[in-house]
Amino acid sequence: MRRWNLSQLIGTIALSVAIWAVVAAGCLLVGSTGVYWPTVQELTLRREPVLVASLVGAALGAAGCAYQAVLRNPLADPYLLGASSGAALAAYVWRLPMLGGLLTAPGTLGVIFAEAGQEAFAFFGALGAIVIVLAVAAARLRGRLEPVTLLLVGVIVNAVNGSIYLLLIAIHKDNPGGGGEASLLIGGIRLVTHLQLCVAAGLAAVGAIVLFFLSGKLSVAVLGDDEIESLGVNVHRLRWAALSGASLATAAAVAVSGPIAFVGLICPHIARRLVGSDQRRLLPAATAAGAILLVLADAVSRLLAWQNLLGTQLQVGILTGLLGGPFFLFLLKDKKI
Amino acid sequence: MPLLHAKDLWFSYGETPAIDGLTLTLEPGQFVSLIGPNGSGKSTLLRILLGRLHCRGLIQWEGREIRAWPRRELARLIAYLPQSPASETDQTVGDALRLGRAPYWGLFGLESAADEKVVRSVAELLELSSLLDRRLDELSGGQRQRVFVGRCLAQQPKVLLLDEPNTYLDLKHQFELYAMLRRLAREQAIAILAASHDVNLAGAFADEMVVLAKGKIAAIGPPIEVLRADLLEDVYGLPMESIPRTGGPPLVAPKSF
Repeated sequence: MRRWNLSQLIGTIALSVAIWAVVAAGCLLVGSTGVYWPTVQELTLRREPVLVASLVGAALGAAGCAYQAVLRNPLADPYLLGASSGAALAAYVWRLPMLGGLLTAPGTLGVIFAEAGQEAFAFFGALGAIVIVLAVAAARLRGRLEPVTLLLVGVIVNAVNGSIYLLLIAIHKDNPGGGGEASLLIGGIRLVTHLQLCVAAGLAAVGAIVLFFLSGKLSVAVLGDDEIESLGVNVHRLRWAALSGASLATAAAVAVSGPIAFVGLICPHIARRLVGSDQRRLLPAATAAGAILLVLADAVSRLLAWQNLLGTQLQVGILTGLLGGPFFLFLLKDKKI
Repeated sequence: MPLLHAKDLWFSYGETPAIDGLTLTLEPGQFVSLIGPNGSGKSTLLRILLGRLHCRGLIQWEGREIRAWPRRELARLIAYLPQSPASETDQTVGDALRLGRAPYWGLFGLESAADEKVVRSVAELLELSSLLDRRLDELSGGQRQRVFVGRCLAQQPKVLLLDEPNTYLDLKHQFELYAMLRRLAREQAIAILAASHDVNLAGAFADEMVVLAKGKIAAIGPPIEVLRADLLEDVYGLPMESIPRTGGPPLVAPKSF
């Protein structure tokens, strides 16, 4: 049993960053044309997906960790409160022809619209869906947030979003430009503009900092409401703050990459194996695990493309689903969740 | 000035009052047992005194109105053990005990040297030192209950509000727990208010007994005055008999058929 003091905090974060840096550097050697030391030009090309994957993975890892603690549910993941379906729906709306006209709109409006793009739509779609879930859940209980209500409302909002999405597809049979309908439902590490990456990183960082700030209280959050309060923590304020932080990070991630399965669900469990269940240790470990896992998954998808096994580059979201699902079952079988 | 001064408390979940005009004081070092049938208001009273349920009437802890206490400060004064404490199964004993220090943690949940010292001394007191790295789901019911009591003690409270702390415990562990609680009251001047269904166990260790019936105090006083067959017969609605015993209050039990 080690005391959680400042050097432990800094040490844990430094170690997490160091391990991520090593893995990320290793993945820079992997390109879709082979595994070798890249030229300067190739390095710039490969650096981007590694950074995007790290950002998305870290945000999902941290958010998943907080969602599982606050919702007191080991099966909670960052998309549970509507982020993924809201993002996909909004991104699809952006692709509709009636909005396409706005892109060519004269003056600054068109420029802003073109610059912000699908990612901005996805971000506000994700955030909007979560806000609806939180508002409905809180309205039922006079401003308080209860885990069971949140889960229930989240599932319903996700289902409704999915139905609207399918409805739009049915109406606009031949529409969506590029990629087809499914491409919005399965996330991948896409290249985004420099500005988009910076904005997403900033938003995710704000969310993550809120969570780190709350990590002491989050470690109490796994107890019953009366116990949480008797330990001096305002349980409803904690839920609002932690869910807001986690949701901001999730929305930023899902806007950049689309929904990537299992990362937010599995990383907290992997981290738990390594550092135990205390949120103060778990949060930095799960954040690093998310970044590392997604960087690796992205490298694997590049490797597959190089070998041309599938004739195309696999979306990372498919890969994490394929590998993450069985891996999670393996963890479950062990009964130590 | 008493530690707790509660006057004319009134609370209801619906139409019928759950706590009805109840007045109670608690002094440092006093071990008070709360008995009464199911639904008599024991748990409700504990949650009211903890500040979790808002009721009519006056509640003062150390002379200060309960709503005027900041949550964190109140958490350093009162520790609470619910009927079924929640825990994560993969939590270690050490991690569970440390949560009791949460009201003292700094930013980012940083712990001071004092936090660690308190946790270690609590572990020693409850004979948990050798179990600090064990997971809670590997412990026996009795060991687990000791951990939860330990989490309360790590708060270094002046008051313990315990809701049936002897559930899940066998006879020996029940006895040991109550003996330890009395020792804490004596040696550290911690006031204890413990709800229980075991009237004889409660009577054997408590300084004072409070009998609740339908949200009212039916009797209050030292065990020897309260443990009377006629009184408990009324409260529990069951024919009772009292069996005298040397060196302590009588045993009270349902009449044999």
